[in-house]
Amino acid sequence: MMKQIDSRHWEKKSLRDIVTDQRVILFAVLVCMGFVVTLLNNRFIRINNIILIFQQISVVGTITMCMSLLMLGGEVDLSVGNIMMLSGCTMAVLIVGNGKGIEGGMSPWLAVLVGLGVGVACGLINGIITAKSKCPSLIVTLGLSSVYYGIALILTNGRVMSFKRAFDPINETRFFGIIPLTLVVLLVLVVIMFIVVNHTKYGRRVVAIGGNPENARLCGINVDLNKIVTFSIAGLYCGIAAIIYSSRLDSMSAGSGSGYEVSALTGAIIGGVTFSGGKGSISGAFLGALFIGVLSNAMDVLAIQTYTQTVIKGVIIVAAIVISNLNKMKKK
Amino acid sequence: MTAQTSSAPIVRMVGIKKHFDGVKALNGLSLDLYPGEVHCIVGENGAGKSTLIKVLTGAHQPNEGQIFIDGTEYPMMTAALSKKLGIGVVYQENLFVPWMNAVENIFVGQEISDYSLIRLSEEYRRAAELIDSLGLSLKLNQMVANMSVSDQQFLKIIKAISQNPRILIMDEPTSMFNTKDAGKVLDLVRRISSQGVGVIYISHFLKEVRQIADRITVIRDGKSINVYDNSSRDTDLDRVVSDMVGRSASLFYEKEQYETGDLALEIDALKVSPTAEPVSFQVNRGEILGVAGMVGAGRTEIANAIFGAARKHGGRVLYNGREITIKSPRDSIRHKIAYITEDRQRLGLNMEASIVENLTEVGMQTILPGFFIRIRKLVPLVRGIIDELKIKISSPMMAAKNLSGGNQQKVVLGKWLFSDSEIFIFDEPTRGIDVNSKAEFYRIMTGLAKQGKIILMISSDMPELVSISDRVMVISKGKVVKILEKDEISENSIIRYALEVHTA
Repeated sequence: MMKQIDSRHWEKKSLRDIVTDQRVILFAVLVCMGFVVTLLNNRFIRINNIILIFQQISVVGTITMCMSLLMLGGEVDLSVGNIMMLSGCTMAVLIVGNGKGIEGGMSPWLAVLVGLGVGVACGLINGIITAKSKCPSLIVTLGLSSVYYGIALILTNGRVMSFKRAFDPINETRFFGIIPLTLVVLLVLVVIMFIVVNHTKYGRRVVAIGGNPENARLCGINVDLNKIVTFSIAGLYCGIAAIIYSSRLDSMSAGSGSGYEVSALTGAIIGGVTFSGGKGSISGAFLGALFIGVLSNAMDVLAIQTYTQTVIKGVIIVAAIVISNLNKMKKK
Repeated sequence: MTAQTSSAPIVRMVGIKKHFDGVKALNGLSLDLYPGEVHCIVGENGAGKSTLIKVLTGAHQPNEGQIFIDGTEYPMMTAALSKKLGIGVVYQENLFVPWMNAVENIFVGQEISDYSLIRLSEEYRRAAELIDSLGLSLKLNQMVANMSVSDQQFLKIIKAISQNPRILIMDEPTSMFNTKDAGKVLDLVRRISSQGVGVIYISHFLKEVRQIADRITVIRDGKSINVYDNSSRDTDLDRVVSDMVGRSASLFYEKEQYETGDLALEIDALKVSPTAEPVSFQVNRGEILGVAGMVGAGRTEIANAIFGAARKHGGRVLYNGREITIKSPRDSIRHKIAYITEDRQRLGLNMEASIVENLTEVGMQTILPGFFIRIRKLVPLVRGIIDELKIKISSPMMAAKNLSGGNQQKVVLGKWLFSDSEIFIFDEPTRGIDVNSKAEFYRIMTGLAKQGKIILMISSDMPELVSISDRVMVISKGKVVKILEKDEISENSIIRYALEVHTA
């Protein structure tokens, strides 16, 4: 496509640019890590394990996608985990009932639609309050997170909900007898987000707002509306993540969403998406989520104690953030 | 000037007035612009140039006056409307998304798309066309963050042109360029105006203005003072300069005369960036050295580098003949250098904290002994300073935010007096404070000088520079252009050197 462009107007990427691209570094680290772990225990490289890794990251990967979109726009949403649970618990309660007023028995299809609607509604609320109050989304969503958690507790009466295997078909569907549906769904969600960010008017405006809000305003972009849409899309992704989550575990409780916001943030940051907005890529964020998945899996395969795993993960998060900030440190 | 006679003006502004909290930024300004014309606006700092742009682009609503575009009056100009009417702006500051490439930046807010999917190749094609038509060379896929400063400036112009404006406002488009690239910008402006676009061109560089303007309007104190026809490119710049200055004598302050002491502070070949011109000057004990220059000339940068708030890229600072190493504001404070910044509310004061806390903020680290602090015990220590500076307060415990501008500025100064500073760097010391407080502040500054302190005063206030300074150092484009001795100091001489028309 770009062949028609005169080379005078085209900057060739130097080797240095390519080597210092965070995505390239991350990919290289992934490959090296895979190689080393395989040497230690060749169970790691088996096709079933690779597929397992993707299944393990299907929920957090989905949330990382919407978190990256928000971060590119200069916002953050700390309520994603609880939106996911509220959305999932809504589906569960509608299907199996909560024993306290709601009978259940709704068709799973309809319940899923309502659950997704709840996700979008939560995102909409986050977006409207953030955009109109001009408060930092970090604070707004931190507060609202508790609201969503509370509502989920009320809905479920604080109990663990079982879906009574209603979502099993999702978990059991395999393409060619081996590729699980959840993996395909994750990849589709990644591709959609990639297209949204890189090839739509909306996505480019998200990045423009994140990169320089004053410039965006002067360029005639409706900043508030754009933010509200972004939060709503995030809510939708949380709803979809809830479906994947329930299909894999067949159960759900109000509290099981905590921690997902941090994992999603970590994945995005490791992948080169910055907190300050406007910088980063969806492909990088996906690699970041994959990195965390591979790391956990590798540590499982190598039988590293869970407690130690937590420490290692923390160290890697801090290391990744410091490394991605090295340029800034030098400039000062 | 055929354009002017053969057609109607596209822009006509009549009697525009705009006040901010009682300060008249525009005071009955009138201006018109014809298609294909380059109309230059010149004036001192604070003459009303930026406000003029903001009124025309709808960022500010004028209090009085009319704006006509193509003969139609628009009583409520808004940002969206001005854009729709074809008014484009090349802003002085860099408004870009740093991590987007050139093409993406050009099309922010006006993306080319089908069903909201971006047509990337079409955008690239159009951007390449624009760049070629302006005779520039830019890499389309280069991130703005990685571009040279001058490429970023060109990109600003391309972005403005991409919207096919009929009226283009350019605010100091060459201030970031070296001479060669500045020449390129002037060519660009000619090219753009020859396509029938009316250009409002704001610049501090009078020689450049004379090269390019069809007409030159001088504004002063929010009014248009004179309009020159420059169609033969030969306007007398001396007359332009005297239009820009010219104030009544009542604005000047009578300064007490006294002898200054020996050489105390010496700045030797200081560089504020790796490519900057080295800056050297000397200040005597008891002397007030005024630092003049247009906004953006690089005065604050020099002050920041001396104080250690920004990195030095070479050069030495000598005090009493001995070199002192300053790598951070902490080092400066140790060497008794005080820096009274321009933005007192943001950089000079802790607005929520009490006056006592503000006054002892610096001294706390250098003078007060011990580990624990009891604020009430500090009150007697600062009494002297409050009395000496005549800071008007109801109680030393009141918050700084409740003080008037003049009194706030006194607290900032008091903070440095409390920590026994010897060298004082003032950046726009009296900006935004009333006339009486100004006079009082001058009294305090001369008092300090009389005690043998060393004072550097960056100022854009001409009467202030002329009446308070013992000598005036004029900065332009980061260089020391001239150091004026006491008997050479006048508004006219300062402006001439600041605008670099002294050789004209």
